[in-house]
Amino acid sequence: MSTIEPAIGGGVPEPVSPLREAWTVYRRNAPAVFGTLLLFAIVAFVLYGTFIYKGDPYEIVWAPQTPPGVEATVPLGTDNLGRDLLRGLLKGGGPTLAVGAAAAIITLVIGILLGGIAGYFGGWIDDLLMRITEFFQVLPALLFAMVVITLFSPSTITTSIAIGVVLWPQTARLTRAEFLKIRELEYVMAARSIGARNGRIMWKVILPNALPPLIVSATLTVGVAILFQAGLSFLGLDDPNTMSWGLMIGTNRQYILDAWWPVTFPGVAIFLTVFAVSLVGDGLNDAFNPKLRER
Amino acid sequence: MTKPLLSIRDLKVEFSTRYGHVTALNGIDLDLLPGETLGIVGESGCGKSITALTTMGLIPDPPGRIAGGRIVFDGEDITQADARRLRSLRGAEISMIFQEPMTSLNPVFTAGDQIAEAIMLHQSANRAEADRMAVELLRTVGIPEPERRAQSFPHELSGGMRQRVMIAIAISCRPRILIADEPTTALDVTVQAQIFDLMRDIQQQFGVAIMLITHDMGAIAEMADRVAVMYAGRIVEKGSADAILDNPLHPYTRGLIGCIPVLGKEAGQEGRMPPLAEIPGIVPPLHLLGQGCAFADRCPLAFDRCRTESPMLKGDVHKVACFAAEMEAA
Repeated sequence: MSTIEPAIGGGVPEPVSPLREAWTVYRRNAPAVFGTLLLFAIVAFVLYGTFIYKGDPYEIVWAPQTPPGVEATVPLGTDNLGRDLLRGLLKGGGPTLAVGAAAAIITLVIGILLGGIAGYFGGWIDDLLMRITEFFQVLPALLFAMVVITLFSPSTITTSIAIGVVLWPQTARLTRAEFLKIRELEYVMAARSIGARNGRIMWKVILPNALPPLIVSATLTVGVAILFQAGLSFLGLDDPNTMSWGLMIGTNRQYILDAWWPVTFPGVAIFLTVFAVSLVGDGLNDAFNPKLRER
Repeated sequence: MTKPLLSIRDLKVEFSTRYGHVTALNGIDLDLLPGETLGIVGESGCGKSITALTTMGLIPDPPGRIAGGRIVFDGEDITQADARRLRSLRGAEISMIFQEPMTSLNPVFTAGDQIAEAIMLHQSANRAEADRMAVELLRTVGIPEPERRAQSFPHELSGGMRQRVMIAIAISCRPRILIADEPTTALDVTVQAQIFDLMRDIQQQFGVAIMLITHDMGAIAEMADRVAVMYAGRIVEKGSADAILDNPLHPYTRGLIGCIPVLGKEAGQEGRMPPLAEIPGIVPPLHLLGQGCAFADRCPLAFDRCRTESPMLKGDVHKVACFAAEMEAA
C-alpha cells in the first residue's frame, strides 16, 4: 500500500518492558530477595495456620506459663492461662496480615483517587482536597483510629478501615506530587492532542507512570498498618474473639516480668513481618528507580 | 481560489500573568488550503506554538484565554465549540506532532499500543483490528520490521523512529490538518531530512494540509508552499515561500534568512567562511510591548514613525507590516 521506503535500521532487539527490567534489578538485590523469601515463609506459616491447622488458640492445654522447650506438646510454651503460644501464632497471623494488606489497599484507593484528582485538575479543587488531606494529617493518628474503632464494634474490618482512614493522606500527597509532575510532560499533551478525555488521561496515561513510587509506599504502608494494629490490640481496642499477634502481646503484657515468652514470640513475629515487608519495599524502590541507588 | 480548510481571523489570545494581561496573539489572520504546507516561522516567543495550540483548542485556560477572533475549520467556528466537539476534532480532523519525540510518547506503553489507542478513540475498531492497523501505520511511516517494532517501548527507539511513531499516531485517523510544531528541531540533520521526506510523502498519500511551525528558514525553503512570519504575537510578513525567500520585504524576515549558514567559500576570500549573521537583541517580553512596531528596537531601518505607530499588514498576495518596506515600494 505504501511507496515510502523503510528507514535504515539494524536488527530489532527483543523488546524489554519496564516491568521486566525492574525485575532484573530486583532479583540481583540480595536484601530484597531475602525479604521476599522471608515474607513467603511467613505467609506460608500463616496460610497453614488459617486454613489447615485445626487447633483452637483459646483452648487451655497445659499448665500456665510453661516456658518454651520444656514440654513437647507446647514447644513455644503457654501463656498465663495455659494456652498454646504456637497455636496463637499460627491462628493470629491471618488477621494480622489481613489487616495490614486491607489497610494498605484502602490507603491506596483513597489516596490515589483524591491525590490524582487534586494533582490533575489543580486550582480550587486541589486547594479543597489538600485542605481536607491536611485536616486528616494533623489529627493524632492513633487517637483518631481509636475513635473510629470505638464508634463501631471492633473487628478485623473496622480495624482495617480505621487504619486506612488514618494513613491515606501520605499516599494522597505522593500521588498529587506525581500527577503534578507528569501532567506537564509532553506525552500528556500528546494524548490530549489525539482527543483523549480527562478520565482517560488521568487513569490510563498518568497513573501507570505514577505507580512505581505508589507501589513502594503501599508496601511500606503494610508494615506501618501491622504495627498500628498491634498497637490498637495492645490497648485493648481489638476484637478479643479474633486471635492476632497484637492481641497476644496485649493480653500477656502485664505478666512480662514473670514470663518473657508470651509477649516475645508474637513480638518477634511482628518484627520479622515488618522487616520483610520493608526489605521488599526498599527493593521495589531500587528496582523502579535504578538511578537513585548510586548515591 | 480554493476555499481554505482552516481560516483564522483576527485571533487574539491573552494570558494572565503576574505582570497583568499580556497579549500572546494580537490579531492573527491565517488561511490553510487543503493539501498545502503553510510555514509559520519566527524566533522563540513569537506566538508560533500558541497559534498551534489555540487551533487544537489546547491552550491552558486559565491562564490563557481566546480574547477575540474566529478559527473556522470547514465552516465551523471552533472557538465556539464545546469540549466534547473539540475532543472529536482532535486527532480525527486536526492532529499534531511535537518537538520532542523523546518525551512525547508514553514510556510505559509499546509503540503499537499507543497507535492502537489513538485508533480506538475515534474509530469503531476492536483491539485486534486496531493492533493490525497500527502495524500497517508503522509500515506506512517507514519503520522496518513493523510487526516487531510495534512491540517496542519508546526507550528502545531512536529519536527519528519515535518521531515516525508520533507521525503514525497523528495520521492514524486520517486527519485533514497536521500541525507540526518544530518536528525536527530535536533530531540530527540527516534524520531531519528523512522526516521531511516522510511528511511530504504522507501529504501526497493522504492529501493532508500541514501547518509547519519552525524557526528554521532552511526547513521553510524545503517544505513550505506559503509562509507567515511571526513576531511578538503578530504576523509581520506573509506570502508564497518563493516570494518570501527570494524577496523578503520585512527587515525581520531578511534577518532570519541572513541567519542561515552558507556552506562553501565566499568569492574572493580564499579559505574563509563568511561570518554568520545575527539579529541583535531578543524578542521583547510581551508585557513590555509599548506602542509602535515591536521590532523597532532591533531594526536597522527603524525611524521615528516606527516607535509611535504600529504598521498594518498591507499588500495583495505578498503582504508585509513595515513602514520602511512601504516607503521602499513607493
